[in-house]
This record gives sequence, C-alpha cells and structure tokens, in this order.
Amino acid sequence: MPPAPPSGARQIWRRLRGRPAALTGGVVIVLLVLIAAGAPLLAAIEGQDTTSYHPGLVDSASGGVPLGHFGGISGSHWLGVEPGTGRDLFARLVYGARVSLGVAIGATILQVLIGVAFGLAAGLGSRWVDSLLSRVTDVFVVMPALILAIALLAVVPGSFPRPVLLTLVLGFLAWGGFAKIVRAQVLTQKSLDYVAASRLAGSSPWRTARRELLPALVAPVLTYAAITLPTNIVSEAGLSFLGIGVTPPTPSWGQMLSSATTWYQADSSYVLLPAVLLFVTVLAFTVFADGIRTALDPRAASRLRVGTRAGRRGAGTADSAATPADAASGIPGPADPRGGGAA
Amino acid sequence: MRHLPVTSRRIGVIAIGLALAGGAVACGPKSGSDAKAGADATPHQGGTLYVLNNQAQEDFDPARLYTSGGGNIPSLVYRTLTTRNRADGAAGTKVVPDLATDTGEPSKDATVWTYHLKDGLKYQDGTPITTADIKYDIERSFAPELSGGAPYLRDWLVGAADYQGPYKDPKGLSAIETPDAKTIVFHLNKPEGEFPLLATQTSFAPVPKAKDTGTKYAEHPVSSGPYEVVSNENNGEHIVLKRNPNWSATTDGQRKAYPDTIDVQSGIDQAVINQRLSAGVGKDADAVTTDTNLGPAELAKVSGDKSLAGRVGTGHFGYTDYIAFNPKVKPFDNIKVREAIAYAVNRTTVINAQGGSSLNEAATTFLPQQAAFGYTPYDPFPAGADGNPAKAKELLKEAGYPNGLTVTLTHDVTKGDEQGPEVATALQEALKVAGITVKLDGQEHNAYSDKIHNVQSEPGFFLAGWGADWPSGGPFLGPIFDGRQIVKGGDNFNNAQLDDPSVNNEIDAINKITDLKAAAVRWGALDKKIGEQAVTVPLYHPVYKRLYGKDIRNVVISDWTGVLDVSQVAVK
Repeated sequence: MPPAPPSGARQIWRRLRGRPAALTGGVVIVLLVLIAAGAPLLAAIEGQDTTSYHPGLVDSASGGVPLGHFGGISGSHWLGVEPGTGRDLFARLVYGARVSLGVAIGATILQVLIGVAFGLAAGLGSRWVDSLLSRVTDVFVVMPALILAIALLAVVPGSFPRPVLLTLVLGFLAWGGFAKIVRAQVLTQKSLDYVAASRLAGSSPWRTARRELLPALVAPVLTYAAITLPTNIVSEAGLSFLGIGVTPPTPSWGQMLSSATTWYQADSSYVLLPAVLLFVTVLAFTVFADGIRTALDPRAASRLRVGTRAGRRGAGTADSAATPADAASGIPGPADPRGGGAA
Repeated sequence: MRHLPVTSRRIGVIAIGLALAGGAVACGPKSGSDAKAGADATPHQGGTLYVLNNQAQEDFDPARLYTSGGGNIPSLVYRTLTTRNRADGAAGTKVVPDLATDTGEPSKDATVWTYHLKDGLKYQDGTPITTADIKYDIERSFAPELSGGAPYLRDWLVGAADYQGPYKDPKGLSAIETPDAKTIVFHLNKPEGEFPLLATQTSFAPVPKAKDTGTKYAEHPVSSGPYEVVSNENNGEHIVLKRNPNWSATTDGQRKAYPDTIDVQSGIDQAVINQRLSAGVGKDADAVTTDTNLGPAELAKVSGDKSLAGRVGTGHFGYTDYIAFNPKVKPFDNIKVREAIAYAVNRTTVINAQGGSSLNEAATTFLPQQAAFGYTPYDPFPAGADGNPAKAKELLKEAGYPNGLTVTLTHDVTKGDEQGPEVATALQEALKVAGITVKLDGQEHNAYSDKIHNVQSEPGFFLAGWGADWPSGGPFLGPIFDGRQIVKGGDNFNNAQLDDPSVNNEIDAINKITDLKAAAVRWGALDKKIGEQAVTVPLYHPVYKRLYGKDIRNVVISDWTGVLDVSQVAVK
C-alpha cells in the first residue's frame, strides 16, 4: 500500500480498527447490504417468494393467525408466515431490506449532492448569493420534512414508482444540514493561506473548490452522512408505517411493522421480526457513524494515537488505555461501550 | 330517487366503520354459547348498563337521525309507527307494529298507507301521543336546519319534493292526513310495498310541537320510549338515560328495558373498547358496545381463551363486498373478460386477508344470505372457493387475450378497509395465476369514494360494498342496478351504469307487492338474472363479532342490525 495522506482511507481504517463497537456496526452493515443485494438468491435458497399466498398455513376461523409455533416457523418457512395471507416472512424481510437500505442510501446521496452544491455556492459566492442561498437553506432546515413528505407522497399518483419517489422526497427535503456544514467549512478554509495562494495563482473559483476545498470537506460531510443515513432509514419506515411509503405487494419493514401492530398479543414474532431488524440496522449505522466521526475528528485522532500506542505497549486493550488519555485531554469521549476485556 | 343511494351507502359506511375492528370466533358453536349465557341467567330489572362506543351518537334528534330500523340507542327514547322485531337471527328481520296497531293498511296499489295508534300511549311527561305529533316530526325532517335523515320520504310523498319544513312552511305536508288523534294516512306518488319498513325510522317518532326547540331539541328530547334523556353532552359524546315512568310495557311488546340507567360513552379507541370488555374490570363487566367489532388479531386472541370466547356475540348485517366493473372502460366492456375475472377470483385468500372465515362468508350472490332480502343461492361462474384459473385462461383466450392481460385495480389505501389494500393484493395474486397482471391503484379514502361514485371518473375495475337501510331486496338492488338511478354529477352507485329496461320494469313491478315474502322471491330471481351479466363479482358478506361484559344477560342479535340490541340487555 502506498503511504497514506494524513486523512486518507488507511488512516481512518487504522483508527477505526481500535474501536470494536464501530467495527461491529460496520460488519452488520456489510451483512445487511449483502442480504439486500442477495435477496432473490436467499429467497430462492429458502424456496419461497414474497407474494405467494398460503391459505393452508393460517387458521382462517381464528382471524388468520399462523398455524404452528412462533408464527408458523418451519423448514420451508424459516421465519414463519404472515397472519391472514400466509406469505413467507423470511422472503419479505430480505426483500424489505432492499427498500429500507436502498431508499436510505439513495436519499443520503441526494442530500449530500444538493447540500454540497448549495454550501459551496453559498460559501464561495458573493455576499448577495450567500444570503439568498443561506435563506433558502434555512427554509429547508426548519421545514418539518416528515409532514411535508406525507403531503407530497399523498398527492403524487400511484403510478409513479414508489421507492424512487420516497428517495426523491427524502433527498430533496432534508439536505439543509449538509449545506450549512459545507458553507461553514468553506468560509473557514477560504481564508486559509493555501486557498488564498491557489486563488492568487489564478485558479478559477471552480478549480479552487474542486482542488483545494472539496478534499477538506470529505471528513465533515462523510461524518454527517453517516449520521443522517439511519435517520433516513427511520423516515422511510415511518412513511411506510403510515401507509404512504411503498405500495403493496412490495414488502418493506415499516409496512410490515404497521400491519403487525395489532398482532402483538396473538402473534408476537410477526411484530418482533421487522422491529428487531429495524432496531439492529439503525443501531449499526449509528454506532458506525459515531466511529467514523471520532476517527475523522483531528482532536480525537491525537487521543486515539496515544491510546493505540499505549495499548500496544501495555497489557491493557487499546480502549481501556485510552481512558486516561481522554481524561487528560479534557474532551468528553464518545459514548461507546468500553468493554475492557473484549480483546 | 337521487338521494336514495347516498343514504343506503351511508349505512354501508357505518357498517364498515363497525367492521373495521372486526374479529371472530367460529360461528356455530359460539352463537350457542351466547344463547347459553342468556338462558341460564334469568334477566332482572335494575342496575346500570354501560355502552362503550367509538363513534358519538351525533344529532340525537328524531328528524336528523339516519337509522336502520330505528337505531339501537335512539330506539330506547323514540318509539316509531313500526319497528324491527327484537329477536335473534332471521326472525329479527321482520317488521312489527310499535306505536301503531299493525304494520299498516295499504290501499290496493300500495300508494296509500293508513295507521292507527294503540291506546294509552304517553310521553315522558304523561301527555298523550297523537298522530299529529308524528306528522310534525316527519315535517321537521324536511327542514334544512334539521338535515341528516333518510331522503326516502321526499321521493315518496306526494308533493313533498320541495317542502322546506314546518318552520318555513307551517301549512305542512298535504300528503299526510291526520283525520283524528289516532289515525294517520300517507299518500305516496308511486306504489311502495315496503313502506312499513321505512316507518321504522325515527322520522316516524312523535315530537310534540309545543316542546320543539328546533336544533336544540336533541339535548332534551321528549321521550316516547322506555328511557328519557338525563343529559346529552357534546353532541352525543356522553348520553345518560334513565327510566321513563310513563312508558308501559303493556303497549310495547318489543323493548324489555331491564336496566334502570343506561350510560353511553363515546370517543373511545376501538382497541381500548375491546381491551376493556375483555378485561371486564369494575363497571366494564356491565358494559357492551354497539359499534366496535373484534379485529382479526383480537379474534385470534379471543379464540384461544374459552372464557372470552363465550362472551362474543355473532351478528349478520345484510352487506355485500364485491368487485365492481365499469363496462364503459376497456377491456371490461367484454363480458368474457369480466367472466374470466369472476372465475379467477380466489375467495379463500380474499376472506383470509379480511380476517378469515369467522369474520366473512364467501358470496356468490349480490343479495346477502338472508331470506328477508330474497336470498336465492346461485353461482353463475362456479369456480369453487379457490378460483378456477384454467377456466379463466380459456375465457381470456375466447375474449382475444391468449397471452394474458394487464389491468388496473383501483382500491382504497386505508389499511383493514373492506375496499383496502389487503383485499386488492389478494386479488392481484389470484389473478396472476390466471395470467391477468393486476396493477394496483390505491387512492386516499375520500378521494376513492369520490372517484368511484362519479360516472366521469369511475375506473373500470374497483372494489365496492353495499348495505341496505332495511332488510329487503329493494334498497339492495335498486340503487346499484336501476338504470333510472344513474346519477351524472356524483353520488352514483350504479357502478355498471346498467340501464336495462327489463330490470327497471321488474323493480317497478316488485315495488307494488305488499306481501314482503312474495316480493322477496321476486328480488331473488332478479338478483340471479343480473348476476349472469357479470357486472359485479360478489366476494364476501362480513360477519360481526363483538365482545360484551361478564355480567351481561339476554343478548339478542337480529339479522336486521347484526348488533346486540340494547333494549333487550340486562345487567342483573
């Protein structure tokens, strides 16, 4: 591997490696992405699909509760079946991951693109451009995005592909935070010598932005994106829960959770499956985002290096050794579990 | 007849609201345990009955109430010329005299109906009830400020079309004569053999003119029934009734009136109502609900608990959920396509999606499965419970679609609704097997209702449901299949826009029949004849399952309302 630049991927990786919680989150995310990507394969291995009804697997006279234990778990239906319809829950859950992750990732990318464009333009533009764009950004920041999303989703005709629409609505409504961060960063960097030098050397604003500013934006934007992504997952689930997300028969976790709410007493596994998956996904992304944030934080970085070295030197783990360093630096440490004996 | 469909539909909407929470226990054995609960505990007078409801009893004015058979709570306060028979099952679909001595004497062609009042009828203040007071309430129901009641009388009474009520027009309706205090004569502009069924509605209750307070009458109405209103808070949200000392069981063979007090509390979440009734803590042991069914999941829970299963009342309100076609939209103009869909439908999965076989019964006839409606079993497209996709494919081929077909099914997006996504998705899956690709077009509840009831925007293939204002074939088939009831501007319920002279003529001919049994046979035959045209595909008839409190006795559920009759219930 070539020597990495100070804030390069290798360094991030080195810093992340010392944080088991963030690593676990990362592993879970990779697994979830694999599940989503491999949904058709997984369903094929199980031998089921998401839409086939199995009337024989539910007790029609008792409201359609699945026959058998734990929601009808069996060799051919690994996680049981849906009450009423008898549709396979494993297939619906793995396909549901596609909607949850796809919409959330798509919306986050959209938010980053719009936010960076607005932030850069505001930070580099004239005072007039800056105040105009900043006001527009303010509007999007204070806007109750979820309520507006509900309104938008309710009026768009059903023929428009729903996952795409969800991505667009979430992406176009909630980019304000990115724009603010980018603008602030640009304003700080703009006055630094290296940027001034580039400008004096005759670079166009566009070239300055691309060559000098964008690399400096990677860390804050990446951190904010990692924090925003789980929010988008929850938003998608919320909208689907309200019945205005993806349309049937496309499965989605939020939609499953919504159908399952009345069943919590009669068929609790039906509620638990989407709920636990959603919880694990959001937790994994949040923990991972926290790890990224710490890894990219220049102040935290110095602490980490101390901690890592201390870990190598002493008998304790990197984490436990990092504790005194945290205390010494006077900066509150990230709230990750300090499992001393984990290593 | 413009309004007629609206009214019937509104009853339907109420029924849906009730059915939303619906869940169930196995039909046969459970109704047996209901009977047991009523039989081995003799009902006694006294105590307080609590009614836990979701919807408020709004506009508690006899002129404004829109009821089927006089309503449940309203019927405790308002007696009417005729009323529904308070008996279990099919016997409860009969119309019986209430204030009147009989169900009405028709003229030869059923255009003039005469009623005589019983002796000794009194209001809560002891003053006598007269026929002039009944006429006065009917006139009040025409007043714009007291809107909400059923529109039939405006269509049926001679010269009543533009009447604006007694406040603006004190001369009154000349179509109603009261030659003496005990006689009332109605003159109709066409034969209506079902007039006695209409006379069960609360617009046929007496209102003393001297006590009329206009729009405020609902707060302190003058009772003619076994209970009087103590208080009516927030437009029917909380109504308290106590015994009316001037009511006498000797003139009222229908209402039992066991409890001394009845407390009707509304605005409670449906899940909470079912939770409270199943727990039965404290006063909730003496509670019933008149508007909340058990939902599928609640039914699943109740089924597994014997003590709860014995406290479930099962009722059948005449209602049909069906697929509606608009033959003006291609490819549904082709009867072969409609027949193919009729064969492809899998009623088992549709019913499971709506809560299973305890909450729904498969339908192949448009009329509900009750003799009073004229139910005549038939199945023009016999495909069995699970559908016949092979036969459907064959018909598609004949229709010119050998490689299958793509269609759009419009439905309501409201979860759990009878026209909702669960039913639509089940149909989509069943039709897929027959080579028909169904795209779903889910619409918001109100937008959906507007869209399907306007001939301009009506889609070709959608879900609909229908209930009637009284148990008969007339209000069931008329609004849906009578060509003269097609409405251009909206509020159209003739989905197929069927205008078949032979159907229209038969409807007119049956309306002349005053023998309701004979009429029922003709309605049944007409239903079969229309069914063969495949302009609708009947899917299922909902069944109501409702919990009642631990100490409740004498549960009576008629096929007229499908709901436990509050006038029969005892708490001691």
